[in-house]
Amino acid sequence: MRHVFLPLILLILVALEGVALDILPSSLLDSNLMITPHWVLMFLVLIAIFYDRQNSYYAIMYAFIFGLLIDIAYTGILGVYMFTYAVVIYVILELRKMLHSNIYSALLFGIISITIAELIINVIYYVVGIMNTTWTDYFIYRLIPSVLANAIFILILYPIFAKRLEKWKNTQIK
Amino acid sequence: MSLFRKKRLFIILIGIIVLVVLIGYSLGNRSKLSIGEQFVSDVIGTVQNVISAPVKFVTNIVGNIGDVRDTYEENEVLREKLAQYKGLIYEVQEIKEENEELRKLLDKADSIRSYNPIHATVTARSPERWIEQVTINKGKLDGVKENMAVITADGMIGKIQRASQQTSTVQLLTGFDEFNRISATISREKGNDIFGLIEAYDRESNSLILRIIEDSDQDLKKGELVVSSGMGGVFPAGLPIGKVKEVIPDQYGLTRTALVEPAANLYDINNVVVVDRVLSGEEGDEE
Repeated sequence: MRHVFLPLILLILVALEGVALDILPSSLLDSNLMITPHWVLMFLVLIAIFYDRQNSYYAIMYAFIFGLLIDIAYTGILGVYMFTYAVVIYVILELRKMLHSNIYSALLFGIISITIAELIINVIYYVVGIMNTTWTDYFIYRLIPSVLANAIFILILYPIFAKRLEKWKNTQIK
Repeated sequence: MSLFRKKRLFIILIGIIVLVVLIGYSLGNRSKLSIGEQFVSDVIGTVQNVISAPVKFVTNIVGNIGDVRDTYEENEVLREKLAQYKGLIYEVQEIKEENEELRKLLDKADSIRSYNPIHATVTARSPERWIEQVTINKGKLDGVKENMAVITADGMIGKIQRASQQTSTVQLLTGFDEFNRISATISREKGNDIFGLIEAYDRESNSLILRIIEDSDQDLKKGELVVSSGMGGVFPAGLPIGKVKEVIPDQYGLTRTALVEPAANLYDINNVVVVDRVLSGEEGDEE
């Protein structure tokens, strides 16, 4: 029964991202800052660190599925989030062996993953012609604020889910 | 080990090919959503319906606390305005009746002004900031179709981009590009109306760009109201779009463009009306 929780939480996070911008005060929305929530990715990073075993790839599978859901629900350009999230989670799965899993490593991996994801997504959108600002503007107004905002989010998620994910890991079906 | 590395490279290559194919497919000229996409949109839409109500409730309370402070002053101003409007309402009523009578005389019941409203609530906004779209809780089952105009009480905010069964996505004016032109007009007396096309949204000045195609020697003033003209065949006439902020000549001095500030607040949208035009234009014609 436990393995139903992960897709359910991820689905709720996908839906929550849609109202994420309502939570911000509208003066922030009006300004040039473009804070982008990547809450699904943050949870996927936690899954990769705490839930996946040495030779399992649940996180990549979920990244693939829920990235596609974000594409369908919010952008209409299929494949961008799907591909990006899967690649980023793969990198995190490779990197996690180097550090012990605790809150600092989770934060570090979170920041790394947002940075890579943001860059890949925007390179794709730049090539396709949807993004139309200069890269310096992008770094100042979107990348840095987004990394900070999502780092805060992973710090909120960590105490709620870190222990639980490890518990669920031990009850995984082999 | 080398076999494993080869396999990995292979997977990444296939991934990139799939990515390119999918992007090509979704950017191609498609007007309908595939069944799978419709299903996914509806499922996420249902979850969003459940979630958005409490979130909006809480954010509204926070907003209301701020509003309470300004209420008294606003009330005074509004009272004054209301008194002015009373006279206007009477006048409009008279004109409407007269208009109807005249139309009956002419045997011309529908005009490009009339439309059926479909009321909807915004349930989500795209977190991807390059893509300016919101999701509403009405879909094909309620009569929403692609390319219908979407308005709030203040004015136009965008058009329906994709419709699934129970939800649809609205492309906001801020996300309009050269493929989504709106034919617009500025009303003048004696048929001297100024016509133009809303061509794009300019992020730097936060305004829509209106290229004036006729009567370029007529003077435009700051603050004049720009409305849709209904000539594009998709949107009805008379939907307020925005106010003229600035007029600038183009580089050759032949035509002039006006920067138009959208009338509706495009960041704080809750309730919208989808506009179903009564008279249909030419099918498949891009506005």
